[in-house]
Amino acid sequence: MLRLARLYRALLPAARSQMLVYRAQFVLWLLSGVFPLVMLAVWLAIVDEAGPLLGWQREDFIAYYVGAAVVHQLTFSWVNWQWQDEIRTGALSTRLIKPADPAHHFISEQLSWRIFFLMLVVPAVAVAAWLSPALTFDLTPARAVGVALSVILGFALSFAMASAFGVIAFWSTQSNNLYHLWYGMGQFLSGWIAPLAMFPTALRQAARWLPFRSMLGFPTELLTGQLTAAETVAGFAVTLLWLAIFGVLYRVLWRRGLKRYEAVGA
Amino acid sequence: MGRYLRLLAIFYKNTLIGELEYRLGFWANLALSLFWLLWAALSVRVYFFHANDIAGWTYPELLVVMGLFFAMNGFRQLVLEPNLSLLPEYVRLGTLDYILTKPANSQFLVSLRRLGVYNWGDPLLGLGLVAYAFWRLGRAPRLADGLLFLALAAAAMVILYAFSLLLQTTTFWLVNVNEVDTLVMGLLETGRFPVSFYRGWVRVALTVVIPVAFLTTLPAQALLGRLGWLTALLAGAVAVLLFAASAAFWRFGLRYYTGASS
Repeated sequence: MLRLARLYRALLPAARSQMLVYRAQFVLWLLSGVFPLVMLAVWLAIVDEAGPLLGWQREDFIAYYVGAAVVHQLTFSWVNWQWQDEIRTGALSTRLIKPADPAHHFISEQLSWRIFFLMLVVPAVAVAAWLSPALTFDLTPARAVGVALSVILGFALSFAMASAFGVIAFWSTQSNNLYHLWYGMGQFLSGWIAPLAMFPTALRQAARWLPFRSMLGFPTELLTGQLTAAETVAGFAVTLLWLAIFGVLYRVLWRRGLKRYEAVGA
Repeated sequence: MGRYLRLLAIFYKNTLIGELEYRLGFWANLALSLFWLLWAALSVRVYFFHANDIAGWTYPELLVVMGLFFAMNGFRQLVLEPNLSLLPEYVRLGTLDYILTKPANSQFLVSLRRLGVYNWGDPLLGLGLVAYAFWRLGRAPRLADGLLFLALAAAAMVILYAFSLLLQTTTFWLVNVNEVDTLVMGLLETGRFPVSFYRGWVRVALTVVIPVAFLTTLPAQALLGRLGWLTALLAGAVAVLLFAASAAFWRFGLRYYTGASS
């Protein structure tokens, strides 16, 4: 544990300075985070016409999608691209001679972006919620801890999932396409296109058991206070279960792929 | 003009020969595109569980817009992305030197040299969705509306091209603008829905500042027979103006290009 802490004390500043070289990229990454707000516009247009939906007012949709935009930026991991690139070009070889597992480098890179995001955007959203009556989150300290925990687990799950797909690149050049397919189906079931409450019951039940909600809908629903204690516990249980599944899958594929990679002698 | 058409024929023959070596990737892309199209069309159905129409658009009418969005995005991937997104690379590595010494218009060369052959299926699939939407509506567009649509679609392609070139040309000052393509894609993404879905200043911005309304909403309205010739003239004027502005900005930017080694 101590060794790991020392490792990240070295890796994180390095990742931060690397990020600062590409500031424009960071800004564009921030801008890309407004996509969920497109969905918000659609729902507001529907509410304007049809009135409150299943008890959801305008304010509920605004709080949900602003929360979802923040949660998405914190959890969504694109590490499958890095795995594929490094495996395909052989850049992985230089990483392998370093003492720390390549995953640690990727994690610290992604963490440094998120730390900046936390420092810039979360205070801005908090101030907006405080100033504007249209945007309210009534957070209790206990729920705030729950939200933080669910976001961390959501990021871990997203990272494990993207890595499990990313290391498929040891065998196939189509690993990114496979991940796109999987993730694309997930966008619908994650609570992105519609809050899960707007789904027909059968779909909603299915979405609760699938991994995608853990990375978007679940933390957001916790944030907006829509979940009972039992639903909260169930959400965490499902998240942990999928985290275990994809974590093991990624490590197994990684070990096998690595043997193959060495065998090719790249 | 004839010379430029001959050049295009040579360029595209070469790209085709190069890309057809990767036939698996080509079919995989087509299958993926089809999947995305169906998935997008199905997932917006969830909105219509709660309302019969949104801001005056029924489900099949919305599908017309979505089909055009796929077609425009396909055009972006087919023509714009393979060319314009290489510009920062040209400037950083100095490859632009070679392009400037060639005896043809430099804007023509950086804009149309390549073709993303992998993505030729997307525009066709998008238009297929439009056809399906009209089948669901139980009618065909009238001939006059079809002609109006063709004019607006051409204007839309010019507008998207000019807008991308305007953004990419900033590379002469900023060098590292690799993400402009992501930004263009993000802006185009808002064209998945008609602009009347957006309210207040967002709608104004999407019509006046960033010309998203011209890309999908107006051509869709033309095809549905809800648009007059006057708006089409306006779209044409916007296209011509933006194209002229982008060409002027390109020439202006070139003056700041010093080559990589000097």
